[in-house]
Amino acid sequence: MASVSDDELAKDLGPLAALTIGVGTMIGAGIFVLPGTAVTRAGPLAAATFVLGGVIALFTALSASELGTAMPKSGGAYFYINRALGPLFGSVSGWANWLGLAFASAFYMYGLGEYVNTLVGAPALSVGPLSLAAAQVIGLGGAVFFIAVNYAGAKETGGLQIVIVLLLLGILAVFTAVGLLNADLESLTPVAPPGTTAEVLPVTAIVFVSYLGFVQITSVAEEIKDPGRNLPRAVIGSVLLVTVVYALFLVVLLAAVPNDLVAGNDTAVVDAARLLFGNYGAFGFDLSILGWGLLLFGGLLATASSANASILSSSRINFAMGRERIITPRLNEIHPRFGTPYRSIAVTGGLIVVFLLLGNLELLATAGSVLHLIVYGLLNLSLVVMREADPPGYDPEFETPLYPLVPVVGAVTSFALIVYIEPLVVVLSAGLVGFAALWYLLYARRHVESAGVLARWVLDRSEEMPDAAVSAATSVRPEGDDFRVMVPLSNPATEEHLITLGAAVASQRDGTVVAVNVANVPDQTSLAAARDRGAHDAAGDLLERAETDAETFDVDVETHVVLSHRTFEEVFDAARTYGADVTVMGWGEDAHGSPGRAESAIDELAYSLPCDFLVFRDRGFDASRILVPTAGGPASVLSARVAEILRAEFGAEVTLLHVTDEGEEATGREFLESWADEHGLEGAELLVETGDVETAIEAAARDASMLIIGATERGLLSRLVRGSLVLDVLYDVDCSVLLAEREHERGLLDRLFGSGAREETPSETGVEPEPSAVPPGAGRE
Amino acid sequence: MSTDLFETVLVPVADPEDADETARAIEPYLAPGSEVVVAHVVPKGEGVPDKASVEQREAFAEEAYRAFIDEFPDAGPSVTPLTLYGRDVAETIVEGALEADAAAIAYTPREMSRWMELLTGSVSKGLTENGELPVVVLPD
Repeated sequence: MASVSDDELAKDLGPLAALTIGVGTMIGAGIFVLPGTAVTRAGPLAAATFVLGGVIALFTALSASELGTAMPKSGGAYFYINRALGPLFGSVSGWANWLGLAFASAFYMYGLGEYVNTLVGAPALSVGPLSLAAAQVIGLGGAVFFIAVNYAGAKETGGLQIVIVLLLLGILAVFTAVGLLNADLESLTPVAPPGTTAEVLPVTAIVFVSYLGFVQITSVAEEIKDPGRNLPRAVIGSVLLVTVVYALFLVVLLAAVPNDLVAGNDTAVVDAARLLFGNYGAFGFDLSILGWGLLLFGGLLATASSANASILSSSRINFAMGRERIITPRLNEIHPRFGTPYRSIAVTGGLIVVFLLLGNLELLATAGSVLHLIVYGLLNLSLVVMREADPPGYDPEFETPLYPLVPVVGAVTSFALIVYIEPLVVVLSAGLVGFAALWYLLYARRHVESAGVLARWVLDRSEEMPDAAVSAATSVRPEGDDFRVMVPLSNPATEEHLITLGAAVASQRDGTVVAVNVANVPDQTSLAAARDRGAHDAAGDLLERAETDAETFDVDVETHVVLSHRTFEEVFDAARTYGADVTVMGWGEDAHGSPGRAESAIDELAYSLPCDFLVFRDRGFDASRILVPTAGGPASVLSARVAEILRAEFGAEVTLLHVTDEGEEATGREFLESWADEHGLEGAELLVETGDVETAIEAAARDASMLIIGATERGLLSRLVRGSLVLDVLYDVDCSVLLAEREHERGLLDRLFGSGAREETPSETGVEPEPSAVPPGAGRE
Repeated sequence: MSTDLFETVLVPVADPEDADETARAIEPYLAPGSEVVVAHVVPKGEGVPDKASVEQREAFAEEAYRAFIDEFPDAGPSVTPLTLYGRDVAETIVEGALEADAAAIAYTPREMSRWMELLTGSVSKGLTENGELPVVVLPD
């Protein structure tokens, strides 16, 4: 079903609208409330802290512009980080961005409260254990109002945002002009009174909250007209404009009024205006009240537009997170009447209210800053990853200049600024990052489907990368990510058949074939020496053939070379390292060498399978007539699945065999019919026999080209390797045999660290390959 | 001049539930050869971003179309989804209908309290007063 969607119709934000989103969000409570704090701690250098904040923001703005033109998608920074660095960092950036916006909004509302309070002088309030400052109470009222407006989706006039921002800039310009006329450069000296230089970076960290907003432009990138041009202009332009406005404003403020008036005063700007405008009169009136009113009005406009824009951005981040299944998409449900993502807005609103109740002005500002700095740092790293990996479709219209200097400096400065933030806030933020990471690993990983560009890039270079990096990339990989079929290869003679089998499985699951050559290196040769002698090149031919063979199935192929002294054990390690879902391996005299270690060690390895294993006894690859003996139970699920896949891929005729006792044939047939239905094998030929299981299988296998046997109990593979498997039928039949053994459950710790935690599963019933020879688990306990 | 209003008709739907109801309400009036354009308006601020992102609203629209189409048998009337963008929902629907050469607009009115009407505006009112195309209000 194609909807007639005209892309251009959806784009209605022009360059000025885009610019004002950035400017309107950034010029918020920061410039109106924070000069007091900044001047107390840094003196005249307060102006420098605002400029420094702008410079740090500019690096990130350059990086964000490139990513924004390459991926004009809803969600902005979160989207880029998730795509580049994968869902683990995606989760971190999504949560940090979301909560960062909520903290910032609470800060804006607190600032609004401070402003309104100078107007009406509301009393402080004490509710139970909470004692609320007057500004907090007013801020709460403001927050509830803005949340309600957003929840109900009241329509703003198209140009309102533009008008608000122009008004704001106008007010700041008038103040700056009046200030300039009264400026006395003497009051700027000494520029750095003793003790203030050390305060510059910590103060920058606080005032950085005044620069949150330029990345918000990218969260509406899909709605900007001609984004290739307008997006970078708006993002970079808004940072430059705001930096200049702040710098001039601060210099004038410090030069024109006594520093004592500004220092430690949350509404210093208003008081300064009253003082400055008081120097003038018109028609006999004192203009001080005009200055006071203008700046008060400006403060209200600024905090309101910032909070409004932040609530708007956070619901887009929620939408993008829900789309990737980092959070439940139910949070993004649209209200049937209001047409708003009401749940997302309500949750964000709840967070703002809680933060407002618990925080103070400085805490809210720094929490908003540090969480955004984390996002900005990751955003710069994302640009590096996208440039280096250069995934298909990455084609930004705007390219960040001076790469890699800009993103590297952007990332370093963003992260470095965090160091200067109040330790309590940093600890809280670190806790949040930990929470977001655990959130992904414990909750979201099961739902998320796409891995990042970084993980793919690391896997493509697994030979040059340290094993730990490769392993890390696969172990945090989302479970819904593509299905990976590992095929260990060592014998050129069996390569084609194994790859055919592996590619068939991968092709049916839309997955990837991971061809791995485990090259045996004699014990006396070190692995490094073997690498120097070109062991990789020798393996190259085999893998190249594997790649060609797999590509005929139109599946993605990855190839890796692993040098090892113990080729057999290495297969299990490789399955973990490369995040295999299924391993398809050969079994025979020369398939993977013989175990080089004590039997018990092998047994240990093969006993705890990291993924499903299909072991192929190659007597020619012919999937035209497949025989699947079954007695039901979980064990035969995998063999059924493989049969289904081969039927779909090669049009195989599948025969199901069930061996039962004399006189039970009717029940047996009934069982087999329902089993076939349950496992997607409708229409398979059903065969019910009585008597000895092995004889029956052998007889039925005479007409088959391939026999698929599911391991009924764990450890089948280990006994196969040790040669202790006494299942004559595997040797007696003339056709190829595929043994299927399922993955043994692994816990999260095991996935992360690859420790051999073993969980016992209850013994399963099914085809008993050797009912009496080796009881389940014998020789182990 | 006599025209069958249901020969080519534009049917605005507000959400998946509304789409489902509307489909059931209009079905008795349609012939197998009828052409139905099922439309959803993605609200645009024309200068300001809407509360929900366009991508989100487009996915929502797809859901509504699916709910609508699911009500019709394969051999039924032809159903074409159409996503419209605009600030004034009623006006956008009428413009879309004219562009799609629809003979009429048909919809099911949604119960709305005065209070809600005040808050969200009445699309129904805007449609019936459009002055360009016949409007059919379908019974529930």
